[in-house]
Amino acid sequence: MSEFKLTTVEEFEQATARLLETGAKVGADAWQFRVKNQTPHCKFGDEGVCCRICTMGPCRITPKAPRGICGCDVHGIVGRNFLRFTAGGSATHSDHGREICHTLYESAADGNYKVKDPEKLMRIAKEWDIETEGKDLYDLAHEVAVTGLMEYGKPFGTQRFLKRAPKHTQEIWEREEIAPHAIDREVSRSMHMTHMGCSSKAEALIRQSLRSGLSDGWGGSMMGTEFSDVLFGTPKPIDTEANLGVMKADEVNIIVHGHDPSLSEMICEYADDPEMIAYAKEMGAKGINVAGVCCTSNEVAMRRGIPMAGNFLQQENVVLTGACEAIVVDVQCIFPALGPLSKCFHTKFVTTSPIAQMPDSEFIRFNAKTAGENAKAIVKMAVENFKNRKPELVHIPAMKQNATVGYSVEAIIKTLDGVTNSQVDETGTLMPLWQCVAAGVIRGAVAMVGCNNPKVRPDTAHIELMKKLIANDVIVVASGCSAQAAARAGLMDKRARELCGAGLKRVCELADIPPVLHMGSCVDISRMMVLVAELAKIGNVNISQLPVVGCAPEWMSEKAVSIGNYVVATGIDTFLGVEPYVSGSSEVTELLTSGVRDWVEAAYTVEKDIDKLGDAMLARIEEKRAALGV
Amino acid sequence: MTLFERVFGGNDAVYGLTEGAIDAAIAQHGEEKAVSFPNTAYALPCYYAVTGTKVTNLKELKEALGVVKSLMTRENKLNDVFMSGVATALCAEFIEAIKYIDGAQPYEEPCYGHLSDAVIRELGVPLVTGDIPGVAVILGSAPTAQEGVDLVKSYQAQGILVTLVGGIIDQCQELGYKTGANVRVIPLGKDVTSVIHVVSVAIRAALIFGNVTPGDAGALMTYTKDRVPAFVNAFGPLDDVIVACGAGAIALGFPVITDDDKDVPPIPKSLIIQKDVSKFNATSLEARDIKIKITNIDIPVAFASAFEGEIIRRGDMQVEFDGSRVDCCELVQSRDMSEVEDHKIEVIGPDFDEFEVGSKHSIAYVVEVAGKSMQTDFEPVFERKFHSYLNCIEGVMHTGQRDMIRIRISKDAFAAGFRARHIGEVLYAQVKNEFEAVVDKCQVKIYTNPEDCTKIRHEIAIPAFDKRDERLSTMTDESVPVYYSCIMCQAFSPSHVCVVTPERLGLCGAVSWLDAKATNELDPNGPCQVITKERVIDERIGEYEDVNEAVKKFSQGALEDVSLYSIMEKPMTSCGCFECICGIEPFSNGVCIANREYAGMTPLGMTFPELASMTGGGVQTPGFMGHGKHFIASKKFMKAEGGVARIVWMPKELKEQVADRLNETAKELYGIENFTDMIGDETIAEDPETLVAFLTEKNHPALGMDPMM
Repeated sequence: MSEFKLTTVEEFEQATARLLETGAKVGADAWQFRVKNQTPHCKFGDEGVCCRICTMGPCRITPKAPRGICGCDVHGIVGRNFLRFTAGGSATHSDHGREICHTLYESAADGNYKVKDPEKLMRIAKEWDIETEGKDLYDLAHEVAVTGLMEYGKPFGTQRFLKRAPKHTQEIWEREEIAPHAIDREVSRSMHMTHMGCSSKAEALIRQSLRSGLSDGWGGSMMGTEFSDVLFGTPKPIDTEANLGVMKADEVNIIVHGHDPSLSEMICEYADDPEMIAYAKEMGAKGINVAGVCCTSNEVAMRRGIPMAGNFLQQENVVLTGACEAIVVDVQCIFPALGPLSKCFHTKFVTTSPIAQMPDSEFIRFNAKTAGENAKAIVKMAVENFKNRKPELVHIPAMKQNATVGYSVEAIIKTLDGVTNSQVDETGTLMPLWQCVAAGVIRGAVAMVGCNNPKVRPDTAHIELMKKLIANDVIVVASGCSAQAAARAGLMDKRARELCGAGLKRVCELADIPPVLHMGSCVDISRMMVLVAELAKIGNVNISQLPVVGCAPEWMSEKAVSIGNYVVATGIDTFLGVEPYVSGSSEVTELLTSGVRDWVEAAYTVEKDIDKLGDAMLARIEEKRAALGV
Repeated sequence: MTLFERVFGGNDAVYGLTEGAIDAAIAQHGEEKAVSFPNTAYALPCYYAVTGTKVTNLKELKEALGVVKSLMTRENKLNDVFMSGVATALCAEFIEAIKYIDGAQPYEEPCYGHLSDAVIRELGVPLVTGDIPGVAVILGSAPTAQEGVDLVKSYQAQGILVTLVGGIIDQCQELGYKTGANVRVIPLGKDVTSVIHVVSVAIRAALIFGNVTPGDAGALMTYTKDRVPAFVNAFGPLDDVIVACGAGAIALGFPVITDDDKDVPPIPKSLIIQKDVSKFNATSLEARDIKIKITNIDIPVAFASAFEGEIIRRGDMQVEFDGSRVDCCELVQSRDMSEVEDHKIEVIGPDFDEFEVGSKHSIAYVVEVAGKSMQTDFEPVFERKFHSYLNCIEGVMHTGQRDMIRIRISKDAFAAGFRARHIGEVLYAQVKNEFEAVVDKCQVKIYTNPEDCTKIRHEIAIPAFDKRDERLSTMTDESVPVYYSCIMCQAFSPSHVCVVTPERLGLCGAVSWLDAKATNELDPNGPCQVITKERVIDERIGEYEDVNEAVKKFSQGALEDVSLYSIMEKPMTSCGCFECICGIEPFSNGVCIANREYAGMTPLGMTFPELASMTGGGVQTPGFMGHGKHFIASKKFMKAEGGVARIVWMPKELKEQVADRLNETAKELYGIENFTDMIGDETIAEDPETLVAFLTEKNHPALGMDPMM
């Protein structure tokens, strides 16, 4: 076996530079250039002080003009913008969850979609008090799906999954009036509250931001995760590879990109079809290679071991390899730039969802009923496109790392069972993890999440922070583009345990895990919520007392803010490396970084210096340990 | 108090004691006073392994304590805790070393204290084969003596090597429980610091077998964690010093199981609280992932490798069978499937009840096997195992082989109901167990009538042995189509590969070409693989392209090329558990050989442990070579350098063991009669000058040969 070595950000950048040379040859645009065009960014927007909610404005708050035309002060404006930002994220995640509910509703024994994890379906049905006895599996699936869909619009009550949280957390949510009602209602309420002439009180706006976030994390996202598991299987540890080197020069490369696994699962299914493979060979290719970008990649990597070509800011690079026959997208985080870019190559840019329609793309409308046919048509299109490849433009950077992915909560518990001793321990719990934390072998855990953002040298913050954390015996759970940064660097290779402190290294050896655990896509941050809830219960402490923090060092999307809000509202201190658009309001800033702690026992820390951000997290973890007396 | 704080506190306490002990020793003896443990080539082995520095006197010991202090960092991280554990262990080693100043013998019966290098080399093979599946370190006093002894006994019955520290030693004595290295229960000492003597064994194993570079603490800890199946049972209440020692154990990868839960937080797989002492055994084995081969044999006494070294004295003996006085033999014979009834055990003649206590008799046992893949070549392979099988029976002692066997049955075993049939049960079960791939059916006949025994010995066994010998003597490296690799030791010595040929058995002495062949048949993907020898590179030194390719593959690239017949050019490597080592003696142009049992000095100025430390760990060291005793008389022994004529010195006992065969070889190769008379031994010379004078007087052929270097 060759010597293990992390891939550095410098090496990432060299590869990108080489691809941009190809881009230059064909006259392609790239985000690197667009960033230049957009800098410096609008200062009013950056501070969140611009209000364009009604047409009296737009109003911008400055020292000379401290109030908008309606009289709203800067705190109200910033707060409203922040809430709208959250609602956007919450709506997006939750709508993804809703799509999965619909797919579950379409599942059938002989259909395109089947129930791959009936045990999990049963478990959720029981949790929701749905009678399972004597029911046909698919009747039950449909009933659970409908019940899930009702969570979006039910007139009364709060989210069903809130009961998964420890009692103390549930009490906080009730006490602070942030226990979310129906998911759509929270989005609507947010829009309503921020309408001209409604809320302008920062405290109320931030409170609703937390509630709207919670409706995502403990509502829409959680359903997205749970029902994806029911449909496509609950992830378990599986080996895969990551970085652009997973693309193959002699095969048809289909890149799946976006977030919703319903499409990508079908594409993978048909890419494996002997008929399609034979067809690819007929077209002169050696086979069909599916690889992923963004969270769709995370979904299929965790369940099928499909390799991960790259994260958010790599999406143009896959096309720049000149070896991408089709980039097939569903929803969210897709650069409209892919349309024009694909025209510079032979690449087919295929949009599939009415939610994400873009110019310069081929739209093949994908729906659950015709999923098989749609997927087959897409695969066929890609195969037929192989012959159009321009060999002189093909360059795939020979750069990839091994990764073991697929650590759902269920898989983590199963892995932990492996280190129990049947003479003294129970299995099926997080007790071994708690014991390691309580004894100090592991100092704590950090949930690393979120996107890339050109404001941060791409992937550096993710990778450097993870390296620092694991060297200090802090285990990292990662999702989304952060997880992919880790995988591409090599931090999800089990051999990365050599980079850990003695404590985490020993744990990784005994449990046979990498030091950074891939927990899934961005909706799967709900898995992390379940994990901390269970850990708090088994340790008999409150979530806020756990030496656990969240971190999104390179975040960029509205979804990220929604996530941040539910993570904080769950009692977990959250550390950001990019400022949200709130710096214009001292009141909102104070609330987010401190005031909310009085409500939910946690708050945000924003620190753009990555090294300091890491130190701050380590310090917080040690503070929490000291307070616990462990 | 947190666990980490307890470790730090315990470490500080031990450090203080050590500092005091060293200062007191310096005050008493002066700085220049030599410090060492007896019979080891590794100075203060733990300190040497961790730092790469050999401490030889009190002055250096004091300096070493400064280095130890530098390990005692106090950040709240496991690394600091591990290093403080290691520092505690090193302090313990220093305190123990001081006890041995001036050749003192600080330990008396039943305690052993420091264990010699030879003991470790002997443990190599059984640890690799799983005959010793684990090493238990029991520390402190069990809640009751009976519980303690029961625990010791439970490990012993599984073949686990048990070491005892502290109160448990008294508890064994209190109940009259037999201890000693021969029954694999080794009381180390009553002070907690004496635990270092077993740690030292694990650490020297890493140096000897693992080729760990002294000073590479990381590699050392990885070796012990991955390859030394040790664990600790510590009885509560645990004080901070024991907790600090425990941190050292866990750092080396040895889990600690205790019944004390006060201020002791459990850590998965590492620190396990088990309140029920009767479950210590099961908990420990699971924690260290030790699997016990279950041999459920229907006999009234225990059966475990721990009893292999048990000695039965005349006074304890119920009955004896002695092949040197009357007709005895043991024999395996292949039969057709139809001739064997599986698990049929017949006793033909009187049983043990009919013999007088302490009397001597004939015995012959014939194990008849049948199987589709059975080959007559495997018969002696099975037969050689009988010695070990019968010795593993509690209360039975077996020595010798073929028709020169002696068996003693103890009074205790007899009283427990052990009879002739049970010998058959053991042979049946073990042959079926170990050789199931080739033995489909097996039956055993046990004869105890003198007339039957005489008949079987002379009419069946001896002709069979003669026939085999003839086959073996015609079996040369040239006459067989292939050789075999043996990587059984890789569990321990990850880059070592033996190439086993008919004339060169494995260096441990335990794997002949036939053994390797049988092993390969039994498990085609196992440790012994076929090596072709079609593409010769150099006939003189025995180098083949195919052999090199195999060695490279099986050593994972660590070894590129190897010769079969030279100790100077690309010599074969050693794992560390070799029976003998030979090294060049430049004044006489020859080589000296020392065997593992030999404790004295050689003319090379080194003892066996020191010589042995020159090689091992799968590394080529021209001029030194580990080998089996049997290889000494081989025509291929150092063939490239001129053969056995190079042998100038051997310990007397070894010389006597190999004399007949060696003389025969020398006669055949060089026409020299009684060659062994020309070879020196410790009664003749322990230094090169005297040796050369002796060799000159005897006109030893080596003196006239080309220089080796």
